[in-house]
Amino acid sequence: MCDAVQEAGGTVSAGVPLTHAAPPVAAPFASAKHVEHPNIQAVDLGAPDPSPEQVGFLDGIQRYAVEGRIGLVPVVRGYVAAAVLRRDHGALRAADSEAEEFVVVPLARLDATQRDALQRTGLELVDCEAAERSHPILDVQLAAKVVEERRETLERRVARRQLATSGDAWLVVDGSVTDLVGGSDAQRVLGVIKSHETQFLEGADLDVALTLPAHHRTSVFARSGRRATVYTWYLRLWPWEEHELLHGLVRLERAAFPETVTEATAVSRWVLGERAPLAARDGRWDRLIYPVQQVETYLRAQVGGWW
Amino acid sequence: MTSGHEREPIGRVIATEALPAGPHQFYFWTAIETTIGIGAIVRVDAPGDRSVYAVVVDGKAYSDLATPLHEVVVADGDPTGTRAPTRRTEVRLWTAAVLRHEPEEPVQPVPLADVFAADEADVEMALRMDAFLRSATPTGVPVGVYRAGGLTAPVFVDADFLLGPESAHLNISGVSGLATKTSAVEFLLSSVFQRLPEHRGSVAAVCFNVKGPDLCFLDQPGTLTEADRELYATLGMDPRPFERVRYFAPFKPDGVNVNTLRSHPDLLGSVQPLVWGLNEVLGYHEVLLNRDDIDAKADALLDFLIDRVVEKEFRDEWGGTHRVRTFSDLDRLFRSVFDGLESAGRSDVWRTHHIATMRKVRNRLINISTRCKGLVTDDGSVSDLPFGAFEDRTVYVLDVAGMDQLAQDLVFTRVVTMLREQLERRELGVDHVIVVVDELNKYAPGDGPDTYVRRMLLDISERGRYLGLVLFATQQFRSQVHRRVVGNAGSVLFGRMDMDELATPGYQVLSPATKIKLATLPKGELMVRHPHFTQPVFVRFPRPSVLSGPEGIKRFPPSTDVPFDEAVGRQLAAMDRRIPATRVRDAIAGRREEDVRRALLATKRTAPDDVFGYFIGALGPAVPRERVATAVPVTPLRSVEDPYAP
Repeated sequence: MCDAVQEAGGTVSAGVPLTHAAPPVAAPFASAKHVEHPNIQAVDLGAPDPSPEQVGFLDGIQRYAVEGRIGLVPVVRGYVAAAVLRRDHGALRAADSEAEEFVVVPLARLDATQRDALQRTGLELVDCEAAERSHPILDVQLAAKVVEERRETLERRVARRQLATSGDAWLVVDGSVTDLVGGSDAQRVLGVIKSHETQFLEGADLDVALTLPAHHRTSVFARSGRRATVYTWYLRLWPWEEHELLHGLVRLERAAFPETVTEATAVSRWVLGERAPLAARDGRWDRLIYPVQQVETYLRAQVGGWW
Repeated sequence: MTSGHEREPIGRVIATEALPAGPHQFYFWTAIETTIGIGAIVRVDAPGDRSVYAVVVDGKAYSDLATPLHEVVVADGDPTGTRAPTRRTEVRLWTAAVLRHEPEEPVQPVPLADVFAADEADVEMALRMDAFLRSATPTGVPVGVYRAGGLTAPVFVDADFLLGPESAHLNISGVSGLATKTSAVEFLLSSVFQRLPEHRGSVAAVCFNVKGPDLCFLDQPGTLTEADRELYATLGMDPRPFERVRYFAPFKPDGVNVNTLRSHPDLLGSVQPLVWGLNEVLGYHEVLLNRDDIDAKADALLDFLIDRVVEKEFRDEWGGTHRVRTFSDLDRLFRSVFDGLESAGRSDVWRTHHIATMRKVRNRLINISTRCKGLVTDDGSVSDLPFGAFEDRTVYVLDVAGMDQLAQDLVFTRVVTMLREQLERRELGVDHVIVVVDELNKYAPGDGPDTYVRRMLLDISERGRYLGLVLFATQQFRSQVHRRVVGNAGSVLFGRMDMDELATPGYQVLSPATKIKLATLPKGELMVRHPHFTQPVFVRFPRPSVLSGPEGIKRFPPSTDVPFDEAVGRQLAAMDRRIPATRVRDAIAGRREEDVRRALLATKRTAPDDVFGYFIGALGPAVPRERVATAVPVTPLRSVEDPYAP
């Protein structure tokens, strides 16, 4: 098979056997606008550069569990946390963290007595959307969506607090930064996105982006988020050949300033340096940088029984 | 005592299914930068006034690196490449062995709580020293200081477990050349002499100096650093040499030059000759005659000689009367018996003893005065340790370094036997005697022949504590010493050890980290095992405040051997500098050497005020020599086949 693929001008992948179809992608496509070049190009980065001296890393986690049902109504206990680890002479130390624990339930489906009973747990009662018809899975999914929103809100809060107190330090965020680029500190925020469910490019541009060689970045392009437009580009941390297209591929996001374009190569170079140490205990090691993994580890350690 | 809660914790106990916290061992982590290490004492406080004291026995550091290959991958195989911007998360995980639970009952797993570095009060509690330091009759004797995390705290051992009667004896192991063993013994003797409480009675030490000048200058002050003086102050001791030291050494074969490296004119006066005669030696024939010699028949003859002949008036069957006091007297008796038997021509048996047995015993015994020449004399003069008049806090050094093995064995056996007998009868003059023996693996080896010396060491180690006879023994390789001898040592010190030795089964109970620490111990540091300490503890002790052997030799170079008359003059001058050598030379001119030796010995033994006058008196008037015209022919002995002859 490998020979046939190569004979056809293709690239051999890892060939990892799978059993189930991948879950459906919620938003597979979105639009982009060229910023740096008229077409997406591959930019050779050369050797990695040292990171800035002051960098913080932000990540958040969420946990939820169906603690019980009142009738058919799921009672979901949620936990979200976010933290920033600041790097000081190579050592990561906790700079800020916050956690919330709450109960998510469609309040409209409960009577006053039932709500009172839940309130006596001492946890915050958070309302969630109630579908017209009860569904044991969809009802839980709606509650989980609330948990996710709480986590995103918490991450934003911790990030803003960090930006306000950390002077000139960069803040590397695990995920998109569209919700964080409104302030005056936006230039110091860098998002590292590991998942590529939404494709912004198409045609030859997409081809360049997804077949990017290691140690290369794409041209900077703009994409619109929920609250703001950001500049973004792809960066290949590890060779994808003999793996899959997305192996070692991250997308970086910064606020839409002219400096974002001029600094794209420099920023890419120090992110490239973040390949070491390898976050190898995580299955996403090819796209997960070690400090972000450590934030996750830190938060997981604090969750205790909520694994 | 400072409560642990008032101090900052240095770590926290952790427990997992794979690494559980038990009642005897637990794990805790600390910051990467920490003051504790292997041998540090820590304290864990649990709710309800419960505390656990423990000593760190092992330590590990690891990161979240799954495999070394990952480091290679990110460095592109180049170890000189750019360093990773983030240091991996790392843990310092320590293993601690529990020393004490307070309260003692119920014994429970160590709580998962904060860990504190021990303070001085904690060290006292952890090592159960409160039991013997805070009692109405304290019995603590300093053994060194505990040092960790910026803390210096004195460590004491219990005299009741060091000198008896609870347990006794001290064994010290360590590689040679690091001055650990001898220094430790000297320091501990000083510690016992200075700090043994009055209510525990009197104590003296008998040191056998078996090699070099190690113990030859115990009365001379050594060089101490300021750090040493601080350690002495911490231990409540005075950094001073031993106040009362008495040296004994045999003569060289010439019978007048003392066989010791402490022969510098300034020191020679304090060395008393060690000279024994037939009576002192015969009771220890088992040491002097090898096992093949001592069959039942020879044994019976020797017993006969001891019981019926020596120091008694003995009449033989041929009309002769003998009073055997010296080897010469004994030889005369044997010749008389052989002559009598031959002239009678009737039998080869005398008083049930076969003539061949008598010949063998005679040959072996007469040979002793030759093999142990200098120690054993044939003229009946004796200079011995002051048995019955031992003094408190006095060190008796027997310098046997210049003697052959047989003579060393004889000295050791007789002295220890005398000590034991007198302690049994409470006649020695002191309540405890510490016998210091170096090279224990030579005297009580784990394998090899069963010698009289080894049997005696076994006896001391097993029963000595009831008598007050205490063994302080050292050796390089503990594994090569008889198990019962080392096993009976209540307290054990380890200096730097050889890794081969540490690999032997006797060290299996030690953690790998403790073994590594033992293998790299600096000078002046020891690991202590003591009945009160449930785990070995590392201590540092100061340099002994006495002159070391090598320094002593530099400061007091030994005298070279000199002719007989000069040697006599030098020895008398060492007692009284006013005696001119010419006067001595004139006084002994023409006198028999054995008479001069006897007079010299008597003078040294007595140490009179008028040294020369006493010496002249002991020498007696000169008897003019009688010139014999012709030599009296000696009748040859009848030739009898000696079944033991080679």
